[in-house]
Amino acid sequence: MRDVLLVALREFRQIVATRGFWVMLLIVPLAIGVSVLVSSRFAPSPSVAYVLVDESGRLESRLEQRLERDYQRQVLRELATYVERWQLGAVDPAAPWAQRGSWLVEPELSRFVDQGGAEAALQRLRPSIPAEAPEFELPERLYHRFSPPAELATTEDPEAFGEAITPLMKEEIETASGKMPLALAIYIPENFGASAAAARVWTNGRFNSGLLNVVQDELTKELQLGVLQASGVGSETATQVQSLAAPIIITEPAAGEERGFFATRSVIPVALMYLLMITAITTGSMMLQGLIEERSNKLLESVLACIHPSALMNGKLLGLGGVGLGIILVWAGCAVAAALSSSGAIADALRMSIEALDQPWMWGAMIFYFLAGYLILSTIFLGIGALSDSMQDAQSYLGPVLLIFMLPLIVMMQASLRDPNSTVTQVLSWIPIYTPFAMLTRLGSGVSLAELIGTTVLVVLFIAAQLIVLGRLFQASVLNAGKPSLRDIIAMMKARAT
Amino acid sequence: MPAEGGDNLNRAILSFESVTKRFGDFTAVHELSFAVQEGGVFGFLGGNGAGKTTSLRMALDILRPSEGRIEVLGRIPSRENAAEIGFLPEERGLYRNMKVLDTVVYFGRLKGMEPGAARKSALELLERFGLADRTKSPVGKLSKGMAQKVQLATALVNSPRLLLLDEPFSGLDPVNQTILEDAITDAARNASTVVFSTHVMQHAERLCDRLLLLAQGRKVFDGTKDEARAALPSRLTLTSRLDPASLPSVSEARLVWSHDDGWAEYQVELRPGSEPGELLETCTQQGFALRSFDITRPTLHEVFIHFVGAEQEIVR
Ligand SMILES: Nc1ncnc2c1ncn2[C@@H]1O[C@H](COP(=O)(O)OP(=O)(O)OP(=O)(O)O)[C@@H](O)[C@H]1O
Ligand SMILES: [Mg+2]
Repeated sequence: MRDVLLVALREFRQIVATRGFWVMLLIVPLAIGVSVLVSSRFAPSPSVAYVLVDESGRLESRLEQRLERDYQRQVLRELATYVERWQLGAVDPAAPWAQRGSWLVEPELSRFVDQGGAEAALQRLRPSIPAEAPEFELPERLYHRFSPPAELATTEDPEAFGEAITPLMKEEIETASGKMPLALAIYIPENFGASAAAARVWTNGRFNSGLLNVVQDELTKELQLGVLQASGVGSETATQVQSLAAPIIITEPAAGEERGFFATRSVIPVALMYLLMITAITTGSMMLQGLIEERSNKLLESVLACIHPSALMNGKLLGLGGVGLGIILVWAGCAVAAALSSSGAIADALRMSIEALDQPWMWGAMIFYFLAGYLILSTIFLGIGALSDSMQDAQSYLGPVLLIFMLPLIVMMQASLRDPNSTVTQVLSWIPIYTPFAMLTRLGSGVSLAELIGTTVLVVLFIAAQLIVLGRLFQASVLNAGKPSLRDIIAMMKARAT
Repeated sequence: MPAEGGDNLNRAILSFESVTKRFGDFTAVHELSFAVQEGGVFGFLGGNGAGKTTSLRMALDILRPSEGRIEVLGRIPSRENAAEIGFLPEERGLYRNMKVLDTVVYFGRLKGMEPGAARKSALELLERFGLADRTKSPVGKLSKGMAQKVQLATALVNSPRLLLLDEPFSGLDPVNQTILEDAITDAARNASTVVFSTHVMQHAERLCDRLLLLAQGRKVFDGTKDEARAALPSRLTLTSRLDPASLPSVSEARLVWSHDDGWAEYQVELRPGSEPGELLETCTQQGFALRSFDITRPTLHEVFIHFVGAEQEIVR
């Protein structure tokens, strides 16, 4: 055991002394940090501008009211989420923002607007908002009306209007709320509604169906209103008919049961799966290089004169495991530090993913599968090292082995984007070399106890078998020079230690 | 530590009993038996492929013999013995990125030393080998000779009772060869038993007390240096007036050079078992006029060629 520790310590130091190790250690948190930062800070705003020329005067106010109502709906939805997140519902349990589904219910939305919207609500909430909660931020408005240059505003000819407006749609324009693309231009002719008098719409090519649907919807309603009125329905009744919405009562799942929760709960295990792949392959190749160095310059003989080959092998695995664990600890430290120190979207997401792992066994399972996957891969790398005299030799084994290893995992990752419990993932859970990866992918979305225990037993047995075979390979081949044939390799794997 | 009683002095520190090692169909070592007594320097001589490295590896339990029995330090070979053994393998290599001092300490630790003792011993050795100012350099930055000295230090760091050196002189310049020879004699003086393999006879000549000669996996000679020389007839050059062929112990006399004044130089081979001294005595008694009488003892090199060449004849 003492020998194993000595070797492990040396291997650990050797890997930690390489530049590659530090690059990997730093680049992952850095890359994640930067990408989150970039996507949150510099992501293009979804806001777009539109131009409306309404010669008929029938759409203008309708559209504006509709867009405002849709916006308030969005505000109510986000406010309700915020209230739930910071447990502020008790301030006024009857308020529209105290219920999570109220944004879907028209009377509730009206009540929210009538009560003064977000501003009034926040005034009531403010005394109860905990200090660590960030300020509630109003959602961005998606559609901004842009007043066209005067000479376009009064044009009578839709063709001329279109011709004049299209150049503006090619790039971003300056509006009162900043630069944004001009996505839609709408022209309503004076005689809109008469036969063959269609509304005209120009887009900038990036089809903005949300706004277009709203426009079409409101125009349709306007026409329906005309028809209703023409058939003798009073204008008040007609308006009522139009705003009729079937009453529905919406029940949303409580936190912890919804899909979104499973997704949150999967964040850390799945991230761990990716990190496992990165670390195991990088540190594995570092150690492979080290072993080949020892083999090619006959260093092994000096070492093997002092310690048993199995101590050397176990020491290497242990050292490598230490490196893997160290990396994970550093990354976990970075994550926790980020979660604690900043209060942005990253920190929130992190905090939520950590809180979602509410059952202690999940942490145990995560660590087990991580270490198991690490050990399985490291053992494969060591086996290759024991058979290779040069990096070139090693490449010729490594290529096919990595292919066999990675292909199913790539298929699995694709499939698990849609469903973490896809058939591929379930099948791979029972093939030991893939088990840790598949199980980490599935861990957040619910696995049965039977699966947990079954795969754990399988993985443990597999690792034990791997270690025995590796031990034989080590014993038989570390001092042999030259590339053994497949038959030699099989013979070595079978041979008991002499 | 060496045992005190005279009885123990005769105990073998390394012994092979009918040891055979086969690699597949190929027999690398064939029924080899010998014993190395504690103390002194033992030469393990033989040509390329004679089985020297294979035998040393078996003594270290890196390889297991196919047949026969080996004892090292009174025990069967195992890593348990590592603490009392120093080993310098034939093909040298160290961790290139590791610092010189760390390397030596690491091997000391692998051989069971405590960190403090390993460090102290390592520093002393490096000092002695003139590497005191390089303790912090990575091994990869050293010259080949320096690296070999570091490797020798890794073998010596635990003050081994048994020092096994496989071709220790290869690749060293004359200065470093001298340093190594000194290190070997020092080690032998400090109660270590040194076994070293070589096919360069000059080193064996200078260092060994006893030697073993291997040819193609078989023992062809085992004994002291003098016994080895005695196995070959001495060569004699003498200057006389008469042909020495008629003298009793002479088997052959070859005329090398005839002087004008009647004296002639002969190279004489003696019958096996006869001593040059006896011949000189005979000459004096018989009044056989001599002007010069030079005895040339055979070198180990000649002994080596004699045995190894002969063995190869037999095998062919
Ligand atoms: N692992 C092995 N597998 C097969 N044959 C081997 C192996 N090791 C050594 N041999 C063979 O055994 C014979 C003896 O080899 P060994 O290395 O012991 O010779 P040596 O006396 O050390 O020679 P040298 O002076 O060249 O180092 C050689 O013919 C060699 O090819
Ligand atoms: Mg050799």
